[in-house]
Amino acid sequence: MIIPILKVTNLSKSYDNIVGCKNISMSLYPGEVLGIVGESGSGKTTLINCLSGNLEPDRGKIIFNINNKETDFLNISESEKRKFIRTDLAFVHQNPRDGLRLNVSAGGNIGEKLMSVGYRHYGNIRSLATKWMNKVEIDKSRIDDLPITFSGGMLQRLQIAKNLITSPNVIFMDEPTGGLDVSVQARVLDLIRSLVNELNLTVIIVSHDLAVIRLLADKMIVMKNGTVIESGLSDQVLEDPQQEYTQLLVSSVLNV
Amino acid sequence: MRKTNNVIKIKDFKVDKGLPFDQEYNFAYLDENTKKMIRRAIIKALCIPGYQVPFASREMPMPYGWGTGGVQVTASCLTKRDTLKIIDQGADDTTNAVSIRNFFKKTSNIKTTEITEKATLIQTRHRIPETPLKKKQIFVYQVPIPEPLAFLEPKVSETIKMHSLSEYGAMHVKLYEDISKNGHIETAYAYPVKTNDRYIMDPSPIPKFDNPKMNNSPAIQLFGAGREQRIYAIPPYTKVKSLDFEDYPFDPFKAEHACDICGSKNTYLDEIIVDDAGNKSFICSDTDFCNKRKNK
Ligand SMILES: Nc1ncnc2c1ncn2[C@@H]1O[C@H](COP(=O)(O)OP(=O)(O)OP(=O)(O)O)[C@@H](O)[C@H]1O
Ligand SMILES: [Mg+2]
Ligand SMILES: [Zn+2]
Repeated sequence: MIIPILKVTNLSKSYDNIVGCKNISMSLYPGEVLGIVGESGSGKTTLINCLSGNLEPDRGKIIFNINNKETDFLNISESEKRKFIRTDLAFVHQNPRDGLRLNVSAGGNIGEKLMSVGYRHYGNIRSLATKWMNKVEIDKSRIDDLPITFSGGMLQRLQIAKNLITSPNVIFMDEPTGGLDVSVQARVLDLIRSLVNELNLTVIIVSHDLAVIRLLADKMIVMKNGTVIESGLSDQVLEDPQQEYTQLLVSSVLNV
Repeated sequence: MRKTNNVIKIKDFKVDKGLPFDQEYNFAYLDENTKKMIRRAIIKALCIPGYQVPFASREMPMPYGWGTGGVQVTASCLTKRDTLKIIDQGADDTTNAVSIRNFFKKTSNIKTTEITEKATLIQTRHRIPETPLKKKQIFVYQVPIPEPLAFLEPKVSETIKMHSLSEYGAMHVKLYEDISKNGHIETAYAYPVKTNDRYIMDPSPIPKFDNPKMNNSPAIQLFGAGREQRIYAIPPYTKVKSLDFEDYPFDPFKAEHACDICGSKNTYLDEIIVDDAGNKSFICSDTDFCNKRKNK
Protein backbone atom coordinates (compact mmCIF):
# COMPACT_ATOMS: atom_id res chain seq x y z
CA MET A 1 0.00 0.00 0.00
CA ILE A 2 1.25 3.45 -0.84
CA ILE A 3 1.13 5.93 2.02
CA PRO A 4 0.16 9.51 1.13
CA ILE A 5 3.04 11.95 1.45
CA LEU A 6 0.51 14.47 2.72
CA LYS A 7 -2.80 13.79 4.38
CA VAL A 8 -5.10 16.64 5.39
CA THR A 9 -8.18 16.18 7.56
CA ASN A 10 -10.87 18.75 8.30
CA LEU A 11 -8.63 21.74 7.97
CA SER A 12 -10.21 25.13 8.72
CA LYS A 13 -8.92 28.64 8.93
CA SER A 14 -10.84 31.88 9.31
CA TYR A 15 -9.79 35.48 9.62
CA ASP A 16 -11.87 36.89 12.47
CA ASN A 17 -15.30 36.13 11.04
CA ILE A 18 -14.30 35.77 7.39
CA VAL A 19 -13.97 32.16 6.26
CA GLY A 20 -10.58 31.43 4.66
CA CYS A 21 -11.03 27.72 4.14
CA LYS A 22 -13.35 25.24 5.81
CA ASN A 23 -13.25 21.48 6.52
CA ILE A 24 -10.75 20.59 3.84
CA SER A 25 -9.72 16.94 3.59
CA MET A 26 -7.45 15.56 0.92
CA SER A 27 -4.41 13.36 0.28
CA LEU A 28 -1.44 13.65 -1.97
CA TYR A 29 0.82 10.78 -3.07
CA PRO A 30 4.54 10.93 -3.89
CA GLY A 31 5.14 12.16 -7.43
CA GLU A 32 1.66 13.60 -7.81
CA VAL A 33 0.78 17.09 -8.94
CA LEU A 34 -2.38 18.47 -7.35
CA GLY A 35 -4.02 21.53 -8.87
CA ILE A 36 -6.21 23.86 -6.84
CA VAL A 37 -8.65 26.03 -8.80
CA GLY A 38 -11.41 28.39 -7.83
CA GLU A 39 -12.49 31.98 -8.15
CA SER A 40 -10.80 34.85 -6.41
CA GLY A 41 -11.41 34.70 -2.67
CA SER A 42 -12.34 31.00 -2.69
CA GLY A 43 -9.55 30.14 -0.23
CA LYS A 44 -6.79 28.71 -2.44
CA THR A 45 -3.99 30.81 -0.95
CA THR A 46 -5.30 30.30 2.58
CA LEU A 47 -5.19 26.53 2.10
CA ILE A 48 -1.75 26.38 0.54
CA ASN A 49 -0.38 28.72 3.21
CA CYS A 50 -1.72 26.47 5.96
CA LEU A 51 -0.21 23.39 4.33
CA SER A 52 3.19 24.99 3.86
CA GLY A 53 3.46 26.42 7.36
CA ASN A 54 2.98 30.09 6.42
CA LEU A 55 -0.32 30.23 8.29
CA GLU A 56 -1.54 28.56 11.46
CA PRO A 57 -4.92 26.89 10.82
CA ASP A 58 -7.66 26.98 13.49
CA ARG A 59 -8.54 23.29 13.31
CA GLY A 60 -7.67 20.09 11.51
CA LYS A 61 -4.79 17.76 10.95
CA ILE A 62 -1.86 17.86 8.54
CA ILE A 63 0.30 14.74 8.37
CA PHE A 64 3.36 14.48 6.16
CA ASN A 65 4.91 11.09 5.59
CA ILE A 66 8.36 11.39 4.09
CA ASN A 67 10.66 8.38 3.75
CA ASN A 68 8.44 6.49 6.17
CA LYS A 69 8.76 9.20 8.78
CA GLU A 70 5.49 10.69 9.91
CA THR A 71 5.37 14.37 10.82
CA ASP A 72 2.31 15.71 12.60
CA PHE A 73 2.79 19.18 11.17
CA LEU A 74 0.54 21.08 13.56
CA ASN A 75 1.79 19.33 16.68
CA ILE A 76 5.54 19.69 16.51
CA SER A 77 7.67 22.33 18.20
CA GLU A 78 8.37 25.51 16.31
CA SER A 79 12.03 24.63 15.82
CA GLU A 80 11.15 21.20 14.42
CA LYS A 81 8.57 22.82 12.18
CA ARG A 82 10.95 25.41 10.80
CA LYS A 83 13.58 22.76 10.20
CA PHE A 84 11.02 20.59 8.41
CA ILE A 85 9.94 23.52 6.24
CA ARG A 86 13.56 24.34 5.46
CA THR A 87 14.60 20.84 4.44
CA ASP A 88 11.45 19.12 3.18
CA LEU A 89 9.21 21.82 1.73
CA ALA A 90 9.54 24.59 -0.84
CA PHE A 91 7.29 27.50 -1.71
CA VAL A 92 7.22 29.32 -5.04
CA HIS A 93 5.46 32.66 -4.67
CA GLN A 94 3.38 34.30 -7.35
CA ASN A 95 5.57 37.36 -7.13
CA PRO A 96 9.21 36.23 -7.36
CA ARG A 97 10.22 39.32 -5.36
CA ASP A 98 8.55 37.72 -2.32
CA GLY A 99 10.75 34.65 -2.63
CA LEU A 100 14.10 36.27 -3.47
CA ARG A 101 16.51 38.68 -1.86
CA LEU A 102 16.76 41.53 -4.32
CA ASN A 103 20.02 42.86 -2.85
CA VAL A 104 21.75 39.50 -3.20
CA SER A 105 23.18 38.11 -6.47
CA ALA A 106 21.46 35.34 -8.42
CA GLY A 107 24.05 32.82 -7.22
CA GLY A 108 23.67 34.00 -3.62
CA ASN A 109 19.91 33.59 -3.84
CA ILE A 110 20.16 30.06 -5.18
CA GLY A 111 22.96 29.23 -2.75
CA GLU A 112 21.14 30.50 0.33
CA LYS A 113 18.90 27.46 0.42
CA LEU A 114 21.99 25.23 0.37
CA MET A 115 23.72 27.23 3.09
CA SER A 116 20.59 27.07 5.21
CA VAL A 117 20.76 23.29 5.18
CA GLY A 118 24.44 23.25 6.09
CA TYR A 119 26.58 23.63 2.94
CA ARG A 120 29.86 25.34 3.88
CA HIS A 121 32.01 24.82 0.82
CA TYR A 122 31.98 27.85 -1.48
CA GLY A 123 33.14 25.95 -4.55
CA ASN A 124 30.43 23.31 -4.18
CA ILE A 125 27.71 25.87 -3.60
CA ARG A 126 28.87 27.79 -6.64
CA SER A 127 28.92 24.79 -8.94
CA LEU A 128 25.50 23.59 -7.80
CA ALA A 129 24.13 27.10 -8.33
CA THR A 130 25.62 27.15 -11.82
CA LYS A 131 24.09 23.78 -12.59
CA TRP A 132 20.67 25.04 -11.51
CA MET A 133 20.94 28.28 -13.45
CA ASN A 134 21.50 26.06 -16.43
CA LYS A 135 18.51 23.89 -15.58
CA VAL A 136 16.18 26.89 -15.44
CA GLU A 137 17.70 28.31 -18.61
CA ILE A 138 19.42 31.36 -17.18
CA ASP A 139 22.83 32.00 -18.71
CA LYS A 140 25.47 31.12 -16.14
CA SER A 141 27.31 34.37 -16.87
CA ARG A 142 24.51 36.08 -14.93
CA ILE A 143 25.37 34.29 -11.69
CA ASP A 144 26.81 37.38 -10.00
CA ASP A 145 24.14 39.79 -11.25
CA LEU A 146 21.49 41.20 -8.98
CA PRO A 147 17.91 40.06 -9.53
CA ILE A 148 16.83 43.64 -10.33
CA THR A 149 18.64 43.28 -13.64
CA PHE A 150 16.46 40.25 -14.53
CA SER A 151 13.18 40.18 -16.47
CA GLY A 152 9.99 38.94 -14.79
CA GLY A 153 10.25 35.53 -16.42
CA MET A 154 13.90 35.16 -15.43
CA LEU A 155 13.09 36.15 -11.85
CA GLN A 156 10.45 33.47 -11.66
CA ARG A 157 12.85 30.88 -13.06
CA LEU A 158 15.45 32.01 -10.53
CA GLN A 159 12.96 31.57 -7.72
CA ILE A 160 12.16 28.09 -8.99
CA ALA A 161 15.86 27.17 -9.03
CA LYS A 162 16.31 28.50 -5.52
CA ASN A 163 13.44 26.33 -4.31
CA LEU A 164 14.32 23.11 -6.07
CA ILE A 165 18.08 23.01 -5.47
CA THR A 166 17.78 21.20 -2.14
CA SER A 167 15.45 18.51 -3.57
CA PRO A 168 12.46 19.30 -1.35
CA ASN A 169 9.86 16.58 -0.93
CA VAL A 170 6.74 18.70 -1.41
CA ILE A 171 6.66 21.90 -3.47
CA PHE A 172 3.93 24.51 -3.18
CA MET A 173 3.31 26.99 -5.96
CA ASP A 174 0.80 29.82 -5.71
CA GLU A 175 -0.01 31.06 -9.21
CA PRO A 176 3.60 30.72 -10.37
CA THR A 177 2.78 32.19 -13.76
CA GLY A 178 0.09 34.58 -12.58
CA GLY A 179 2.17 37.72 -12.44
CA LEU A 180 3.95 37.19 -15.74
CA ASP A 181 3.30 38.63 -19.19
CA VAL A 182 1.30 36.23 -21.27
CA SER A 183 4.23 35.98 -23.66
CA VAL A 184 6.55 34.53 -20.99
CA GLN A 185 3.96 32.43 -19.12
CA ALA A 186 4.28 29.59 -21.59
CA ARG A 187 8.02 29.32 -21.15
CA VAL A 188 7.86 29.20 -17.35
CA LEU A 189 5.04 26.71 -17.51
CA ASP A 190 7.01 24.55 -19.89
CA LEU A 191 9.97 24.67 -17.57
CA ILE A 192 7.87 23.64 -14.58
CA ARG A 193 6.42 20.78 -16.58
CA SER A 194 9.79 19.45 -17.67
CA LEU A 195 11.22 19.72 -14.14
CA VAL A 196 8.19 17.93 -12.73
CA ASN A 197 8.69 15.11 -15.20
CA GLU A 198 12.46 14.93 -14.94
CA LEU A 199 12.64 15.05 -11.15
CA ASN A 200 9.34 13.33 -10.38
CA LEU A 201 8.33 16.23 -8.13
CA THR A 202 5.42 16.24 -5.73
CA VAL A 203 3.62 19.54 -6.21
CA ILE A 204 0.57 21.44 -5.07
CA ILE A 205 -0.12 24.23 -7.50
CA VAL A 206 -2.74 26.96 -7.25
CA SER A 207 -3.99 28.55 -10.41
CA HIS A 208 -6.86 30.52 -11.83
CA ASP A 209 -5.98 29.15 -15.17
CA LEU A 210 -7.55 25.81 -16.04
CA ALA A 211 -5.14 25.42 -18.93
CA VAL A 212 -2.27 25.39 -16.43
CA ILE A 213 -4.03 22.72 -14.39
CA ARG A 214 -4.78 20.64 -17.46
CA LEU A 215 -1.14 20.79 -18.48
CA LEU A 216 0.44 20.03 -15.11
CA ALA A 217 -1.94 18.45 -12.64
CA ASP A 218 -2.74 14.77 -12.19
CA LYS A 219 -5.47 15.55 -9.69
CA MET A 220 -7.41 18.67 -8.94
CA ILE A 221 -9.74 20.20 -6.43
CA VAL A 222 -12.23 22.95 -7.09
CA MET A 223 -12.83 25.44 -4.28
CA LYS A 224 -15.70 27.82 -3.63
CA ASN A 225 -16.37 29.90 -0.53
CA GLY A 226 -13.57 28.16 1.33
CA THR A 227 -14.69 24.60 0.72
CA VAL A 228 -13.85 21.88 -1.80
CA ILE A 229 -16.86 21.39 -4.04
CA GLU A 230 -15.37 18.90 -6.46
CA SER A 231 -12.23 16.82 -6.70
CA GLY A 232 -10.77 14.02 -8.79
CA LEU A 233 -8.37 13.25 -11.61
CA SER A 234 -7.92 16.44 -13.62
CA ASP A 235 -8.80 14.82 -16.92
CA GLN A 236 -12.03 13.55 -15.48
CA VAL A 237 -13.02 16.76 -13.74
CA LEU A 238 -12.21 18.87 -16.78
CA GLU A 239 -13.95 16.50 -19.24
CA ASP A 240 -16.93 15.68 -17.14
CA PRO A 241 -17.51 18.14 -14.32
CA GLN A 242 -20.23 17.08 -11.89
CA GLN A 243 -20.95 20.35 -10.14
CA GLU A 244 -22.78 23.14 -11.86
CA TYR A 245 -20.15 25.63 -10.72
CA THR A 246 -17.34 23.54 -12.20
CA GLN A 247 -19.28 23.09 -15.41
CA LEU A 248 -19.62 26.83 -15.65
CA LEU A 249 -15.95 27.31 -14.93
CA VAL A 250 -14.87 24.73 -17.50
CA SER A 251 -17.20 25.87 -20.23
CA SER A 252 -16.35 29.50 -19.79
CA VAL A 253 -12.64 28.94 -20.07
CA LEU A 254 -11.79 25.86 -22.06
CA ASN A 255 -14.23 26.06 -24.91
CA VAL A 256 -13.29 29.51 -26.09
CA MET B 1 41.86 59.58 9.90
CA ARG B 2 43.50 60.19 13.21
CA LYS B 3 45.08 63.54 13.92
CA THR B 4 48.75 63.56 14.81
CA ASN B 5 49.35 62.66 18.40
CA ASN B 6 51.23 65.68 19.73
CA VAL B 7 48.64 68.29 18.95
CA ILE B 8 45.87 66.52 20.77
CA LYS B 9 48.04 65.53 23.71
CA ILE B 10 48.94 69.09 24.64
CA LYS B 11 45.34 70.22 24.44
CA ASP B 12 44.00 67.24 26.36
CA PHE B 13 46.49 67.71 29.15
CA LYS B 14 44.86 71.04 29.90
CA VAL B 15 41.38 69.62 29.70
CA ASP B 16 42.29 66.78 32.06
CA LYS B 17 43.63 69.14 34.70
CA GLY B 18 40.67 71.42 34.36
CA LEU B 19 38.09 68.86 35.48
CA PRO B 20 38.09 68.10 39.18
CA PHE B 21 36.10 65.31 40.76
CA ASP B 22 32.54 66.45 41.19
CA GLN B 23 30.88 65.17 44.37
CA GLU B 24 27.42 66.11 43.18
CA TYR B 25 27.17 62.94 41.10
CA ASN B 26 26.53 59.45 42.31
CA PHE B 27 29.69 57.34 41.88
CA ALA B 28 30.16 56.79 38.13
CA TYR B 29 27.10 58.93 37.32
CA LEU B 30 24.40 56.24 37.22
CA ASP B 31 22.20 55.72 40.29
CA GLU B 32 22.62 52.46 42.16
CA ASN B 33 19.30 50.98 41.02
CA THR B 34 20.19 51.46 37.39
CA LYS B 35 23.58 49.88 37.96
CA LYS B 36 21.94 46.92 39.63
CA MET B 37 19.64 46.46 36.64
CA ILE B 38 22.56 46.68 34.23
CA ARG B 39 24.69 44.28 36.32
CA ARG B 40 21.88 41.76 36.19
CA ALA B 41 21.84 42.06 32.39
CA ILE B 42 25.62 41.61 32.35
CA ILE B 43 25.50 38.50 34.53
CA LYS B 44 22.82 37.01 32.34
CA ALA B 45 24.87 37.88 29.25
CA LEU B 46 27.91 36.11 30.77
CA CYS B 47 25.82 33.02 31.42
CA ILE B 48 24.69 32.82 27.77
CA PRO B 49 27.79 33.78 25.75
CA GLY B 50 26.95 35.83 22.67
CA TYR B 51 23.25 36.16 23.48
CA GLN B 52 21.89 39.71 23.34
CA VAL B 53 20.25 40.63 26.63
CA PRO B 54 17.82 43.59 26.49
CA PHE B 55 18.29 46.31 29.09
CA ALA B 56 16.66 49.65 29.82
CA SER B 57 19.26 52.03 28.46
CA ARG B 58 19.43 55.37 30.29
CA GLU B 59 19.87 58.81 28.84
CA MET B 60 23.52 59.70 29.19
CA PRO B 61 25.05 63.15 28.98
CA MET B 62 26.37 62.34 25.52
CA PRO B 63 24.62 61.54 22.25
CA TYR B 64 23.92 58.00 21.00
CA GLY B 65 26.72 56.88 18.76
CA TRP B 66 29.27 58.17 21.27
CA GLY B 67 29.45 55.01 23.30
CA THR B 68 26.46 55.38 25.61
CA GLY B 69 26.08 51.59 25.79
CA GLY B 70 29.72 51.03 26.67
CA VAL B 71 29.66 53.88 29.17
CA GLN B 72 26.69 52.40 31.02
CA VAL B 73 28.35 48.99 31.18
CA THR B 74 31.59 50.56 32.42
CA ALA B 75 29.75 52.68 34.98
CA SER B 76 28.01 49.58 36.32
CA CYS B 77 31.24 47.59 36.67
CA LEU B 78 33.46 50.34 38.05
CA THR B 79 34.62 50.25 41.68
CA LYS B 80 36.73 52.79 43.56
CA ARG B 81 39.76 50.50 43.29
CA ASP B 82 39.62 50.27 39.49
CA THR B 83 42.14 51.73 37.08
CA LEU B 84 40.43 52.77 33.89
CA LYS B 85 41.74 52.95 30.35
CA ILE B 86 39.67 54.34 27.47
CA ILE B 87 40.64 53.86 23.85
CA ASP B 88 39.12 54.91 20.58
CA GLN B 89 40.54 53.39 17.38
CA GLY B 90 43.40 52.11 19.52
CA ALA B 91 44.40 55.55 20.82
CA ASP B 92 43.98 57.01 24.30
CA ASP B 93 44.18 60.58 23.09
CA THR B 94 41.41 60.97 20.54
CA THR B 95 38.52 63.29 21.34
CA ASN B 96 36.05 60.54 22.06
CA ALA B 97 38.41 58.64 24.37
CA VAL B 98 39.39 61.81 26.20
CA SER B 99 35.84 62.92 26.77
CA ILE B 100 34.75 59.53 28.12
CA ARG B 101 37.82 59.35 30.36
CA ASN B 102 37.08 62.84 31.67
CA PHE B 103 33.49 61.88 32.27
CA PHE B 104 34.56 59.06 34.57
CA LYS B 105 37.23 61.15 36.28
CA LYS B 106 34.66 63.77 37.03
CA THR B 107 31.98 61.38 38.25
CA SER B 108 34.03 58.71 40.04
CA ASN B 109 37.48 60.07 40.82
CA ILE B 110 39.14 56.79 39.91
CA LYS B 111 42.67 56.28 38.61
CA THR B 112 43.11 56.23 34.86
CA THR B 113 45.95 54.89 32.78
CA GLU B 114 47.04 54.54 29.19
CA ILE B 115 48.97 51.36 29.92
CA THR B 116 47.03 48.24 29.01
CA GLU B 117 48.64 46.01 31.66
CA LYS B 118 47.88 48.46 34.43
CA ALA B 119 44.20 48.84 33.63
CA THR B 120 41.62 46.76 35.43
CA LEU B 121 38.83 47.98 33.20
CA ILE B 122 39.22 49.05 29.58
CA GLN B 123 36.52 50.59 27.42
CA THR B 124 37.10 50.53 23.70
CA ARG B 125 35.77 51.63 20.40
CA HIS B 126 36.99 49.78 17.27
CA ARG B 127 40.09 48.01 18.62
CA ILE B 128 41.42 45.35 20.97
CA PRO B 129 44.87 46.27 22.38
CA GLU B 130 47.95 44.52 21.01
CA THR B 131 49.12 43.73 24.55
CA PRO B 132 47.25 40.52 25.44
CA LEU B 133 44.42 41.02 27.89
CA LYS B 134 44.79 39.13 31.14
CA LYS B 135 42.90 37.53 33.95
CA LYS B 136 40.64 39.82 36.01
CA GLN B 137 40.59 42.57 33.39
CA ILE B 138 37.18 43.70 32.16
CA PHE B 139 37.08 44.75 28.54
CA VAL B 140 34.05 46.80 27.41
CA TYR B 141 33.19 47.32 23.75
CA GLN B 142 31.05 50.18 22.46
CA VAL B 143 28.56 48.71 20.01
CA PRO B 144 26.57 50.66 17.41
CA ILE B 145 24.56 47.75 15.89
CA PRO B 146 24.43 44.61 18.04
CA GLU B 147 22.37 42.47 15.65
CA PRO B 148 24.56 40.58 13.16
CA LEU B 149 21.47 39.44 11.24
CA ALA B 150 20.07 42.96 10.82
CA PHE B 151 21.31 43.32 7.26
CA LEU B 152 19.41 40.17 6.29
CA GLU B 153 16.29 40.51 8.35
CA PRO B 154 14.95 43.89 9.47
CA LYS B 155 12.28 42.44 11.79
CA VAL B 156 13.58 42.07 15.36
CA SER B 157 10.95 39.43 16.19
CA GLU B 158 12.31 37.35 13.33
CA THR B 159 16.01 37.75 14.22
CA ILE B 160 15.24 36.69 17.80
CA LYS B 161 13.66 33.55 16.38
CA MET B 162 16.60 32.93 14.05
CA HIS B 163 18.96 33.12 17.02
CA SER B 164 16.87 30.92 19.25
CA LEU B 165 16.57 28.25 16.55
CA SER B 166 20.20 28.63 15.33
CA GLU B 167 18.95 29.46 11.83
CA TYR B 168 22.21 30.90 10.66
CA GLY B 169 22.55 29.59 7.11
CA ALA B 170 21.74 32.95 5.60
CA MET B 171 24.70 34.50 7.46
CA HIS B 172 26.95 32.81 4.97
CA VAL B 173 25.15 34.54 2.09
CA LYS B 174 27.02 37.72 2.94
CA LEU B 175 30.36 35.92 2.86
CA TYR B 176 29.34 34.16 -0.36
CA GLU B 177 28.59 37.55 -1.95
CA ASP B 178 31.94 38.87 -0.82
CA ILE B 179 33.87 36.04 -2.40
CA SER B 180 31.85 36.24 -5.62
CA LYS B 181 32.49 39.97 -5.94
CA ASN B 182 36.07 40.19 -4.73
CA GLY B 183 37.56 36.73 -4.88
CA HIS B 184 37.94 36.75 -1.09
CA ILE B 185 35.93 37.66 1.99
CA GLU B 186 36.03 41.43 1.87
CA THR B 187 34.32 42.12 5.21
CA ALA B 188 37.07 43.84 7.17
CA TYR B 189 35.22 45.22 10.19
CA ALA B 190 32.48 43.84 12.42
CA TYR B 191 33.33 40.41 11.04
CA PRO B 192 30.73 38.02 12.49
CA VAL B 193 31.75 35.31 14.93
CA LYS B 194 30.15 32.29 16.56
CA THR B 195 30.53 32.32 20.31
CA ASN B 196 30.82 29.13 22.34
CA ASP B 197 29.59 27.13 19.30
CA ARG B 198 26.15 28.66 19.71
CA TYR B 199 25.29 32.31 19.13
CA ILE B 200 26.38 34.33 16.15
CA MET B 201 27.60 37.68 17.40
CA ASP B 202 28.67 41.03 16.02
CA PRO B 203 32.05 41.84 17.60
CA SER B 204 31.39 45.61 17.05
CA PRO B 205 33.36 47.41 14.34
CA ILE B 206 36.79 46.12 15.33
CA PRO B 207 39.00 45.13 12.39
CA LYS B 208 38.89 41.41 11.65
CA PHE B 209 42.60 41.48 12.50
CA ASP B 210 41.48 41.64 16.14
CA ASN B 211 38.97 38.76 15.93
CA PRO B 212 41.44 36.05 17.04
CA LYS B 213 42.15 38.03 20.23
CA MET B 214 38.58 37.40 21.41
CA ASN B 215 39.07 33.65 21.32
CA ASN B 216 39.88 31.99 24.63
CA SER B 217 40.78 35.34 26.22
CA PRO B 218 41.41 35.32 30.00
CA ALA B 219 39.59 38.67 30.31
CA ILE B 220 35.87 39.30 30.67
CA GLN B 221 34.54 40.85 27.45
CA LEU B 222 31.34 42.91 27.64
CA PHE B 223 29.48 44.59 24.79
CA GLY B 224 27.10 47.51 25.31
CA ALA B 225 24.74 48.98 22.70
CA GLY B 226 22.98 52.09 24.06
CA ARG B 227 20.57 53.03 21.31
CA GLU B 228 19.61 49.42 20.62
CA GLN B 229 19.46 48.62 24.36
CA ARG B 230 21.39 45.37 24.25
CA ILE B 231 24.21 43.89 26.32
CA TYR B 232 26.11 40.73 25.39
CA ALA B 233 29.26 39.12 26.66
CA ILE B 234 32.08 36.61 26.25
CA PRO B 235 33.12 35.03 29.54
CA PRO B 236 36.83 34.24 30.05
CA TYR B 237 38.28 31.30 28.12
CA THR B 238 35.40 31.03 25.66
CA LYS B 239 35.68 29.78 22.09
CA VAL B 240 35.06 32.55 19.55
CA LYS B 241 35.23 31.51 15.92
CA SER B 242 35.07 33.78 12.89
CA LEU B 243 32.65 32.55 10.22
CA ASP B 244 34.13 31.27 6.97
CA PHE B 245 33.89 28.64 4.24
CA GLU B 246 35.82 25.36 4.20
CA ASP B 247 37.60 26.44 1.03
CA TYR B 248 37.93 30.11 2.09
CA PRO B 249 39.13 29.97 5.69
CA PHE B 250 39.08 33.10 7.86
CA ASP B 251 42.10 35.33 7.25
CA PRO B 252 42.88 38.15 9.72
CA PHE B 253 44.32 40.39 7.06
CA LYS B 254 47.21 42.68 7.88
CA ALA B 255 48.90 45.37 5.81
CA GLU B 256 52.30 44.36 4.39
CA HIS B 257 54.19 46.97 6.37
CA ALA B 258 56.04 47.44 9.60
CA CYS B 259 55.19 50.32 11.91
CA ASP B 260 57.19 53.42 10.91
CA ILE B 261 57.56 54.41 14.56
CA CYS B 262 58.31 51.22 16.48
CA GLY B 263 59.05 48.76 13.68
CA SER B 264 56.46 46.21 14.78
CA LYS B 265 55.54 43.76 12.03
CA ASN B 266 52.56 42.08 13.63
CA THR B 267 50.32 44.90 14.82
CA TYR B 268 47.34 46.63 13.26
CA LEU B 269 48.48 49.74 11.42
CA ASP B 270 46.82 53.05 10.58
CA GLU B 271 47.71 54.57 7.27
CA ILE B 272 48.26 58.29 7.69
CA ILE B 273 49.15 61.04 5.28
CA VAL B 274 52.15 62.85 6.66
CA ASP B 275 52.64 65.86 4.38
CA ASP B 276 50.98 67.97 1.73
CA ALA B 277 52.62 65.89 -0.99
CA GLY B 278 50.44 62.96 0.02
CA ASN B 279 53.22 60.79 1.41
CA LYS B 280 51.96 57.98 3.58
CA SER B 281 53.19 56.52 6.76
CA PHE B 282 52.08 53.38 8.59
CA ILE B 283 51.94 53.45 12.36
CA CYS B 284 50.46 51.25 15.07
CA SER B 285 46.87 52.13 15.83
CA ASP B 286 47.51 51.02 19.43
CA THR B 287 49.39 54.08 20.73
CA ASP B 288 50.21 52.56 24.12
CA PHE B 289 51.82 49.51 22.53
CA CYS B 290 53.72 51.62 20.01
CA ASN B 291 55.10 54.01 22.65
CA LYS B 292 56.25 51.15 24.86
CA ARG B 293 58.00 49.38 22.00
CA LYS B 294 59.64 52.54 20.76
CA ASN B 295 60.99 53.40 24.23
CA LYS B 296 62.47 49.97 24.80
N1 LIG C 1 -5.11 38.33 5.84
C1 LIG C 1 -6.44 38.26 5.67
N2 LIG C 1 -7.28 38.91 6.52
C2 LIG C 1 -8.60 38.82 6.37
N3 LIG C 1 -9.21 38.12 5.41
C3 LIG C 1 -8.43 37.45 4.54
C4 LIG C 1 -7.01 37.48 4.61
N4 LIG C 1 -6.50 36.72 3.63
C5 LIG C 1 -7.55 36.24 2.96
N5 LIG C 1 -8.72 36.67 3.50
C6 LIG C 1 -10.07 36.33 3.06
O1 LIG C 1 -10.19 34.92 3.04
C7 LIG C 1 -10.87 34.49 1.89
C8 LIG C 1 -9.98 33.55 1.07
O2 LIG C 1 -8.88 34.30 0.56
P1 LIG C 1 -7.68 33.67 -0.23
O3 LIG C 1 -6.63 34.70 -0.36
O4 LIG C 1 -7.32 32.39 0.39
O5 LIG C 1 -8.36 33.41 -1.65
P2 LIG C 1 -7.72 32.98 -3.05
O6 LIG C 1 -8.57 31.87 -3.53
O7 LIG C 1 -6.29 32.75 -2.92
O8 LIG C 1 -8.00 34.28 -3.94
P3 LIG C 1 -7.16 34.88 -5.16
O9 LIG C 1 -7.49 34.02 -6.34
O10 LIG C 1 -7.70 36.25 -5.33
O11 LIG C 1 -5.72 34.85 -4.81
C9 LIG C 1 -11.30 35.76 1.15
O12 LIG C 1 -12.60 36.09 1.55
C10 LIG C 1 -10.34 36.78 1.64
O13 LIG C 1 -10.90 38.06 1.59
MG1 LIG D 1 -4.54 33.67 -3.83
ZN1 LIG E 1 54.28 51.02 16.30
